[in-house]
Amino acid sequence: MSAAPAGGGGKVEKVQTYCYQCVAGPDLMTVKVVDGVATEIEPNFKAADTHPAEGKVCVKAFGLIQKSYTPHRILTPMKRTNPKKGKDQDPGFVPISWDEAMSTIAERLNTIRAEGLVDGNGYPKVAASFGGAGTPTQYMGSLTAFLSAWGPIDFGFGSGQGVKCYHSEHLYGEFWHRGYVITPDTPRTNYIINCGANHEASGGVCGVYRHAEARGRGAKRIQVEPHLSVTGACSAEWLPIRPKTDAAFLMTLLNVMVHEASRDRLDLEFLRNTTSSPYLIGPDGWYLRDPETNKPLLWDEKTAKAVPHDTAGAVPALEGRFTVAKAVTLGADDERWEHADVEGVTAFTKFVEHVREYTPAWGAKVCDVPEARIRKIANEFLDNACVGQTIEIDGQVMPYRPVAVTLGKTVNNGWGGAECCWARTMLAVLVGALEVPGGTIGTTIRINRPAANRLESFEGCLDGFMEYPFNPTDRDTWKANPVIRNAYKMLVPLVGNSSWSPALGPTQFSYMFLDEPQDQIPRATFPEFLLVYRTNPVISFWDTDRVASVVSRMPFVVCFAHTRDETNHFADILLPDATDLEGMQLIRIGGTKFQEQYWKTQGFALRQPSVKPQGEARDFTDIATDLAVRTGLLEKYNNAINRGSHGVPLKGPNWDFSIPLDKAPTLEEVWDASCRSASAELTGGAESQGLDWWKQNGFRTIPYPETNWFLTPALKAKGLRYELPYQERLTRIGRQLGNRLKEAGITWWDHQLTEYRPLMDWHDFPGYWEQSVVEHGGKVEDFPFWVVTARSMQYAWGSNMHIPLMREVSGNVKGHDGVVMNPEAARKVGVKEGERIVVSSPIGKSVSGRVVLSQGIRPDTILMMSQFDHWATPVAKDFDVPSMNRLTAMTMQLTDATGSGADLSRVAIRKARPDEQGRSGEKGRRA
Amino acid sequence: MTKWAIVADLGRCVGCQTCTTACRHANATPPGVQYRKVLDMEVGTFPDVRRVFVPVGCMHCDEPPCRDVCPTTATTKRADGMVMIDYDICIGCGYCIVACPYQARYKVSKPTFAFKDQQTQNERARFDERLLGVAQKCTFCVDRVDYGLANGLTPGVAPEATPACVNSCLSKALTFGDTDNPDSNVSKLLKRYKSFRMHEELGTGPNIHYLWETEDE
Repeated sequence: MSAAPAGGGGKVEKVQTYCYQCVAGPDLMTVKVVDGVATEIEPNFKAADTHPAEGKVCVKAFGLIQKSYTPHRILTPMKRTNPKKGKDQDPGFVPISWDEAMSTIAERLNTIRAEGLVDGNGYPKVAASFGGAGTPTQYMGSLTAFLSAWGPIDFGFGSGQGVKCYHSEHLYGEFWHRGYVITPDTPRTNYIINCGANHEASGGVCGVYRHAEARGRGAKRIQVEPHLSVTGACSAEWLPIRPKTDAAFLMTLLNVMVHEASRDRLDLEFLRNTTSSPYLIGPDGWYLRDPETNKPLLWDEKTAKAVPHDTAGAVPALEGRFTVAKAVTLGADDERWEHADVEGVTAFTKFVEHVREYTPAWGAKVCDVPEARIRKIANEFLDNACVGQTIEIDGQVMPYRPVAVTLGKTVNNGWGGAECCWARTMLAVLVGALEVPGGTIGTTIRINRPAANRLESFEGCLDGFMEYPFNPTDRDTWKANPVIRNAYKMLVPLVGNSSWSPALGPTQFSYMFLDEPQDQIPRATFPEFLLVYRTNPVISFWDTDRVASVVSRMPFVVCFAHTRDETNHFADILLPDATDLEGMQLIRIGGTKFQEQYWKTQGFALRQPSVKPQGEARDFTDIATDLAVRTGLLEKYNNAINRGSHGVPLKGPNWDFSIPLDKAPTLEEVWDASCRSASAELTGGAESQGLDWWKQNGFRTIPYPETNWFLTPALKAKGLRYELPYQERLTRIGRQLGNRLKEAGITWWDHQLTEYRPLMDWHDFPGYWEQSVVEHGGKVEDFPFWVVTARSMQYAWGSNMHIPLMREVSGNVKGHDGVVMNPEAARKVGVKEGERIVVSSPIGKSVSGRVVLSQGIRPDTILMMSQFDHWATPVAKDFDVPSMNRLTAMTMQLTDATGSGADLSRVAIRKARPDEQGRSGEKGRRA
Repeated sequence: MTKWAIVADLGRCVGCQTCTTACRHANATPPGVQYRKVLDMEVGTFPDVRRVFVPVGCMHCDEPPCRDVCPTTATTKRADGMVMIDYDICIGCGYCIVACPYQARYKVSKPTFAFKDQQTQNERARFDERLLGVAQKCTFCVDRVDYGLANGLTPGVAPEATPACVNSCLSKALTFGDTDNPDSNVSKLLKRYKSFRMHEELGTGPNIHYLWETEDE
């Protein structure tokens, strides 16, 4: 009979650990190890009651075994022997000892320390690029402590940030409602309008789990996107919208809700008391304020007069125009005007008038979708909003508004992203569905502090809103010179100045400005030392040929390398770290994290070695400690560990497991102390289990209140309001930034300044990309198609293109093998399924690939999934599947005010010539 | 009696192929041999298009055509419904592969590895010579089921007694259980929701049931 699968005998261990390969993690898993060899990945069934998706891990985790044992792995430190760096140059890597590698690195670093950490133009000499939207820190042990000990580092060399993330949402979401990533309250929502978000591919295990549960109980999702994604497939309806017109669609929904629906279908109480809707706007566009206190005024219906916004007992008028006897307005740069008998119009009335022109008929034309469907969706949203209803969670009665709007990549970054965010948030605001059960809510914060609890991340300001850590734009403190090469602090007030901000800023500028010096700022210089980990910007950013050119000119590059790849092709030193199944690290789990990770617990999980490191791969903590010793930074490094820069502070109110400052700690000493401190933190100091206990148990949590998922109760408890719909603060900051730039003689950021408006409006955003065609010397009619991309669960954020198992199973999902196009488009081009096409963009770059026909895509749009364009990474370099990354223009014109661009381009398509059939390297791929 | 079956909820499946990889791990199958996989199907014409993900594999049919064509009696059917292959008896003729209307069977004649000719440590540890040159397919993870039954566990409920694909499913689209037991997890699902079976008209009596609309009937 069929027997049990082979290889099950011998000594079997089940090792508990975690997978945090992508931002949708962490997820808890078990590694089955037989006689010291990892053989199977399994869910962690012991976490079934703790993890939000019952301890499951997604398809990517199953690739970790091949990742450990790949014959392509870098097994020793290596050094480059060919001083010439170029795509066409063989680096000539040869194995070296760890001592030689670390001595070489330390020598460079010590020279920098001796000569000064910052160069003559004010830029840090050391730069670091970490990808995966922060996930590398879950694998880099105590390297964060070394980075903290070092001093100024340029973290702005991006590898996808801005163009591959949800950039507008990160910034505006965190500004408006402390939501760095925004999701539905999926367990309770009944109706989701989803513009392009691909939850079923990129929402992680928890996202997939939650949405399946929602569908199971009858929740309905309307998927709005140019192609029918995996998520579209799992949605009730698909609305194939024209690319980059989502803002128009959302504004049209707003129009229906305030101009066609009766007012009583809106949450008038929420608008009146929890938003700035009743604030009075003066004729000059600024809030009318109380002359004594400068507080914004609203019209009190009870006393029929204007009163400060926080006047007890006032009944704010939501709509109308009122005459205010005395008021002041405050403009940019301390401008102040006094007014008498001035007309004030409520912000809500301004908003209603503002969206009047966005009728369904107009929207249908712009978005190329039926007018009736727009109207139907708007009314279904209202029907499902349950305005007036409440729900009890953990004994707390809260509003129940089971409707949500979510935005995906490309919708959510680049020009038009801000408008989408505003319109999306306003849809929630109109029915009181912002940050309440069932509604549109944020997961985590990255710009404000404390990162672990967004409900404690704000205090109120004079205007009655959450204070926000804008980068200053006033005359005295505006940063006229960039502190790092991408100038985030100078140009993007909204991105703030947290440890994440440098990598959130316009990260493409780090590359662009090296070759395109900008007027009136110090010329960007190449960093003397670039450190790269878990990222591959040369393949994953936009205009990748250009990024490759820049990286090839970096004076000294150190890459932590798993296999060879396109970025470490230009490295001077390669270092092999003990990776996912081999290294050790304690991380925080629970609470609310990226994507749809909403837990009812919080605590820690241990990544422990399931198997021994392959070759000479070293644990990251050992590497960091060695670096600290060799650079004379041991005391600062140990101090940083004691402070918790590696994830857990070693000292608490009634416990202290600090490591001595003068001694190089071992790997076990660092994590044993961390485990003890974590145990103490979770038990109020009562317990102090160390590493052995955590190895045995894997994770430990305490309850996290579900009511903490929602911000609105915390906002109301502080007597504050959401600053919506009217954006006085943003307008002022934009004006001030404009003033500063003008004073500095800078004009190259002028277009971006137009994004600072009190009420966001539609612009011809697709036209921006058409204009880009012209700016690159082309004709729009020669580039008749749009190219878009989509996330793939098998690959998203995973750095796993070299794993054959992922390649194999992703082949079961349409789109991984070529360029998806509608049969109608294929007929126009004259190609059939499987035939090769050449796709060219206005920047003069071309890629080629096979046609994959689908009815699930607009005829004016083609789809290139994921980031396949490798030429050095083993396995991936033989995929012969094109990426749009090479095609996308990296330009100032296509950079929005938040510093982001979009995965989008106009393209031309033609059938490949006979000499272009089949992959033959660059020759076959270029037009 | 017992009849093991899988219920696949098409409203929940997202086509992620986690079940495919979990199966590849659990059964140590070589590259391309996917006892469990998920089809990505598209129907309709733009803009009225539906895309649906359909988990497939051996249906452990009531009347398995693969068994009927087997010249050596290598393919048999257990009393609990599982269709099994005795690798010692199978001669690898491939009739069953052709006869299976679900394309669920595979045959691999020579060792194949993920990285071409480079066998990795885990592949070496789990290499199974018995599977060369014979038919192979989904076993419903019979070793787990039998282990569970021998240890008082309920297959489909206890992870140790449940097929790896079902254990791994992120969306809980897959459920394993005994359709002969009216109180089982699968029986409850089939009673509550509309379902169909693939190529039912062929009379094979397949034992993967598909839930299509999961709203209560």
